[in-house]
Amino acid sequence: MKQNYDFDIGKIKNLSQEEKVSRQKNLDLFYEYGFPSKQVEDWKFTDLNLILNKNFDNISNEVNFESSKEFKAIENFEHNFIFLTNGKIISTNFGHEEKSKILIEDYNQEEVKNIDPSNTLALLNSALSFGGFSLEIAKGYKFKKPLIVYNCFSQDLKNKILNNKNSIKLNEGSELTLIDYSDNNTQNNFIKNTVDTIFLNKNAVLKNVLIQNSKSNGHFYKYIKGSLEGDSNYENYILSSGLKLNKIEIEINLNKDNSSCSIYSALNLLEDQHQEIKTRINHNSPNCKSYQKIKNVLNDKSKGIYQGKIFVEKIAQKTDAYQLSKALIVSDNAEFDAKPELEIYADDVRCSHGSTSGSIDSDAVHYLMTRGISKKESVKLLINGFLNEVLEKITHNELKIFLEKILEKQINGH
Amino acid sequence: MKNQDLNINKEYEYGFTTDIESIRAPKGLNEDTIKFISNIKKEPKWMLDWRLKAFNRLSSLKEPNWQKPKYPKINYQNLYYYSAPKSSSEKPKSLDEIDPKILETYKKLGIPLVEQQRLNGIAVDAVFDSVSVATTFKDELTKKGIIFCSISEAIQEHPDLVKKYLGSVIPLSDHYFATLNSAVFTDGSFVYIPPNTRCPMELSTYFRINASETGQFERTLIIADKGSYVSYLEGCTAPMRDENQLHAANVELIALDDAEIKYSTVQNWYPGDKNGVGGIYNFVTKRGACRGKNSKISWTQVETGSAITWKYPSCILQGDNSVGEFYSIAITNNYQKADTGTKMIHLGKNTKSKIISKGISAGNADNTYRGLVDINKKATNSRNYTQCDSLLMGNKCGAHTVPYIKNKNSTSTIEHEATTTKINEEQLYYCNQRGLDQEEAVSLIVNGFCKEVLQQLPMEFAVEAQKLVAISLEGSVG
Amino acid sequence: MLKITNLKATINEKLILKGLDLDIKPGEVHAIMGPNGSGKSTLANVLSGKNGYEIEGEISFNGMNLNDLKIEERAQKGIFLAFQYPLEIPGVNTNIFLKTSLNSVRKARGEKELDTLTFLKLIKEKAKELNIDEKFLSRQLNVGFSGGEKKKNEILQMKLLEPKLSILDETDSGLDIDALRIVADGVNSYKNKENAFLIITHYQRLLDYIKPDFIHVLSAGKIVKTGNADLGEQLEKTGYANLS
Repeated sequence: MKQNYDFDIGKIKNLSQEEKVSRQKNLDLFYEYGFPSKQVEDWKFTDLNLILNKNFDNISNEVNFESSKEFKAIENFEHNFIFLTNGKIISTNFGHEEKSKILIEDYNQEEVKNIDPSNTLALLNSALSFGGFSLEIAKGYKFKKPLIVYNCFSQDLKNKILNNKNSIKLNEGSELTLIDYSDNNTQNNFIKNTVDTIFLNKNAVLKNVLIQNSKSNGHFYKYIKGSLEGDSNYENYILSSGLKLNKIEIEINLNKDNSSCSIYSALNLLEDQHQEIKTRINHNSPNCKSYQKIKNVLNDKSKGIYQGKIFVEKIAQKTDAYQLSKALIVSDNAEFDAKPELEIYADDVRCSHGSTSGSIDSDAVHYLMTRGISKKESVKLLINGFLNEVLEKITHNELKIFLEKILEKQINGH
Repeated sequence: MKNQDLNINKEYEYGFTTDIESIRAPKGLNEDTIKFISNIKKEPKWMLDWRLKAFNRLSSLKEPNWQKPKYPKINYQNLYYYSAPKSSSEKPKSLDEIDPKILETYKKLGIPLVEQQRLNGIAVDAVFDSVSVATTFKDELTKKGIIFCSISEAIQEHPDLVKKYLGSVIPLSDHYFATLNSAVFTDGSFVYIPPNTRCPMELSTYFRINASETGQFERTLIIADKGSYVSYLEGCTAPMRDENQLHAANVELIALDDAEIKYSTVQNWYPGDKNGVGGIYNFVTKRGACRGKNSKISWTQVETGSAITWKYPSCILQGDNSVGEFYSIAITNNYQKADTGTKMIHLGKNTKSKIISKGISAGNADNTYRGLVDINKKATNSRNYTQCDSLLMGNKCGAHTVPYIKNKNSTSTIEHEATTTKINEEQLYYCNQRGLDQEEAVSLIVNGFCKEVLQQLPMEFAVEAQKLVAISLEGSVG
Repeated sequence: MLKITNLKATINEKLILKGLDLDIKPGEVHAIMGPNGSGKSTLANVLSGKNGYEIEGEISFNGMNLNDLKIEERAQKGIFLAFQYPLEIPGVNTNIFLKTSLNSVRKARGEKELDTLTFLKLIKEKAKELNIDEKFLSRQLNVGFSGGEKKKNEILQMKLLEPKLSILDETDSGLDIDALRIVADGVNSYKNKENAFLIITHYQRLLDYIKPDFIHVLSAGKIVKTGNADLGEQLEKTGYANLS
């Protein structure tokens, strides 16, 4: 399929000769493998090559960054923001915070190195990335209000691929709630390939929320790689329903004692939407905790996938790891696949997983109907209850209300 | 665990060799070898053709490498594919004609071949290296119309049944080892239960690899016709040898309408010594088809032997209301590796499957559960329940759980649970306080952990299996 | 029978028992009372040989140095601990457990191991004495048992194994009045000139049923007071606060 790719490193501005050479190497390596098909174990349930062949005639990385400079900020929810168009910073506002404690700049292109040669999309990203944002929070600084990263897109992205990289670094004891908010109401087929690197130093706390705010023909892939120091905590909420194709791959390295992470997701997939959440939690140190709760509702012809792996190193004694995936299959043409995996080399651990998939409880529907609620409303009510449970742990009230609204909108199909 | 000194590793009890003369095919894998096997067995042409077809397919297949345990490359040209005790090159007509040394071997293994030992009530087919040497209780079974004989005999005597069902569950070119087996299989058991017949006794096969540098490729085919029932047991042992020996069997089960097959395995091939030298590579393909409505296939396995075990006894639930079950205990100690589990493919309506897997790793061993539950679009109102528990003993071993779960049906339910824990110190303490030493305590707790699976075994096997669980873990807590 | 001299026990670098002396002779019933955290359960654990403690001082049991013995060897020599929280062991049948335990102890004593039939006859007899339903014996060990049932099961094991020294760790906790009487009757019926009891308890109430010869008050890892049965009643009135 190589002939259909129109990938050109020359389209990326301000690269030194040296960088161009290194990027070309990544690109050549990518060409060797191409987009992954289901023969690749990590893509067993999402045949990306097949999906792209079906939906794209050709793919080009020539992207215009000048087109859109306006966006509509969310109202009645106090927040700071970074505004990105096609992945690049247009403006920022940290009006609620002490500016001296925050470093925000364009992603340093010189740091664009290849992360993992076995991940071909990361290879492609390293070849074609035009950057993104880089955020660093000073030691001990706790954000007063959430930070929303508005991801907006121009209307001329048909058959384009966006490759961007962001970096988020929280120094010792700092805290941040970061909401990655995608707004891309477009009929155009386009691809976004993002790599986020996250580093949490000792005692840092990051809440990371991923939101898709509209129905879109976007084909998104996001790779989050987090490294956690002692006593730090990473929490991730995924509310990304609405995209035609979405795969979110999260790798968290619990590198020091008492670090912890949790991943929650609530997805309501419609039509032929296809979403995969793939996680890998590496317990590299003793006394760390990880928790995952993945919930999917599959309507119409949609397909939901969860591939989760808990990996426990020999030295990681007293690990406490749990993963749960639950799916409601509402339509006869929908599908849910799961591969919850444990790979354990330490003996003094508590690791478990559970996975269930099945239909909506017909007794519950019946019960609601006897109370005068229509069947359609009853089902919606149950779906709402099923997915909302994921937000239970959020203590920040404003944030919780905000996310509940988003979820409700997604349950109603945007 | 201070105060405990438990480093004595009990020797593999069945590690003796029997010194008998054997006939072998020339070394190597080629058409001549296959013709040699077919010829010595006086097979009809259709059988030879089938073998050759498999052999030709083999060249286009690659050995699979996705499983967790890796093994050094096997030189297929350096193996013997046929080895038979010389004295039975003409199949013995009664037990009196069997080489007394072979009878002695089976006696050592505790397997009664002599008909006087009726009390056991188990009909046995014994396979020594590549050939079936004796089948007991034949007359009694024949009266009921039950066929229980070696597959070689079935090819001669019941060609229609063999032609109809051989390869119908595991296709000729399914994967490398299954295809290899189809080309070179030497013997194995054949069972046919006629309609509406309940097999009056347990049928059992004991496999023994004796000759060195020999691969064992047996083939088992069990057909339960409409409304019939059979319980089948297999046991396996091998001598201790420094080299690794390959065992690649194919087992096919077919259950027609309202029929039930219960298949139990206690696998105790030589696991290698405590440094991981020698032992059997146990690469086995076992698959059952619930072809008829209301049919049921139940697999129970206790896997304690072999250097590497790699097998996934599976059920294809084609008939409406059919049921598939898989109960497994896999114990790995020292340098053993096991990658085992099941596949439950739901095709018919109202099909049910249940998976209970207990993995125990000790020493430097690695134990993987790998399984697939696939509920297809047409399999309405189907259910699966899976429970996988792993127990780790010590900090040098690994336990892995790799389930693949696919649900394409809105009226069907899949439930999967898995846990990994270490042996509970408080429970050990409690048992010790009641006077049980460390080994007794471990054996008791592990047997408790495995209880749901052990319960599935027929009485005679359950006792043996419990002992095996204890023996396999000796020296693992120290 | 049991002589403890200047016993110190440390766990996780914390000193719990800080020099404890105790002398128990055959036929005697000793009670150890004391507030929470005074080291009562630690004493029981140390005597049974539980791992994880660093031990200083001497414990001699019928002339043997206990510190040299493994947990199961102590049990086989006649030390029995009735646990405060008896463990649940899923999948393990109570009968099978009891038979394995009894035969281990009998073997160590040089007695003949019991066959299943003799064992079942014996256990049914003992269970009846304690008003334990036979059905419990075929269930999984302690799994799904109520608190009282678990405690009765402990006393059943005691009567079965016939130890020389029985240590009852808070056996009265979680028992209703009927169960308490059954447990106490069980102990009293087993008591004789040859064996001894060490009863660890927070409250007086068990001692109303099992009359101790001595009561020791344990506080902050040391025995601070020793008296006869009257001391218990006195403590019940005044509490532990005035002692130390």
